[in-house]
Amino acid sequence: MSKILPGTKTTRMELLALKNRMRLANRGHDLLREKRDSLIMEFFNTIAEIKDAREKVDNSLTAAFSALTQAKMIMGPARVIEFAYASKFEADLKISTRSMMGVRVPVLSVEQRSSELPYSLSDSSTKFDVMGEKFKEALNAIVRLAEIESTVKRLALEIERTKRRVSALETVIIPRLDATTVRFVKLALEEREREDFVRLKMVRDWIIAEEE
Amino acid sequence: MSDKIAVIGDIDTVTGFRLVGVSECATPKSPNETRELLLSFFRDPNMGLIIITEPLAKEVEDTVVELSQSPVPVILLISDRTGSTGTYEAILKELIRRAVGIEINI
Repeated sequence: MSKILPGTKTTRMELLALKNRMRLANRGHDLLREKRDSLIMEFFNTIAEIKDAREKVDNSLTAAFSALTQAKMIMGPARVIEFAYASKFEADLKISTRSMMGVRVPVLSVEQRSSELPYSLSDSSTKFDVMGEKFKEALNAIVRLAEIESTVKRLALEIERTKRRVSALETVIIPRLDATTVRFVKLALEEREREDFVRLKMVRDWIIAEEE
Repeated sequence: MSDKIAVIGDIDTVTGFRLVGVSECATPKSPNETRELLLSFFRDPNMGLIIITEPLAKEVEDTVVELSQSPVPVILLISDRTGSTGTYEAILKELIRRAVGIEINI
């Protein structure tokens, strides 16, 4: 049995206020339950997206690594590494957020810049260019996957939070308001009414006795 | 605002991403080094995305799971040249199980 809310006065005003709180709690409970359900739906949709994005990342990485191997075969491993570290490509990650059912989810985009000749043209092979292209594609796919994955994480956190609120309302707040506090106030008011009734009767009896 | 990308992986992976402009690259040689690198990248306030290869992540799985709880930076596992090992799915599953309370097959 849950406890009576502390500091409850047994007055009619308090009873009205309690009934208002009850209504509010019930409405909040319904809303939160709806929110939880649609969050979970959204969550499963996003999970399905992860699978596709993951496949794309795997495929583009496989292509990138095979291009890397080819570049290594033609230019030699040491030269490939040397050129990679000297390249003038720049990648900037941009993070903005958008709101999805009140949850702020990140939107990632990657901006790749390069000067006209990122590396020496005469000393590199075309395989090296292919490798650069493939790795660019892979990076784009990875950033897309990262966006979806972090959306899933945030949705999961929000679902957890909403679930906790729903069950707190369901098992603590609403029973405490309804079953105990409102009942307690009602009983106390009724008891006082009966006392008043008895008191009135006693007074009436006294008056009748005096008149006789 | 632009954020940084970091790559932790074997020499091939790092070479590839270094070519396309990822500025923070590292090739750790022991699990402890991996963990330290991961933590130092994680603490960098400008870091937006940490890419780590699956074999390396496997060695420090507990750290990866723990750090993945926070939304930013995103930690992403990729397969290296030998192909996917399934560590990514395992870690994602664990995260979902913690959040929703049920196992989901991805």
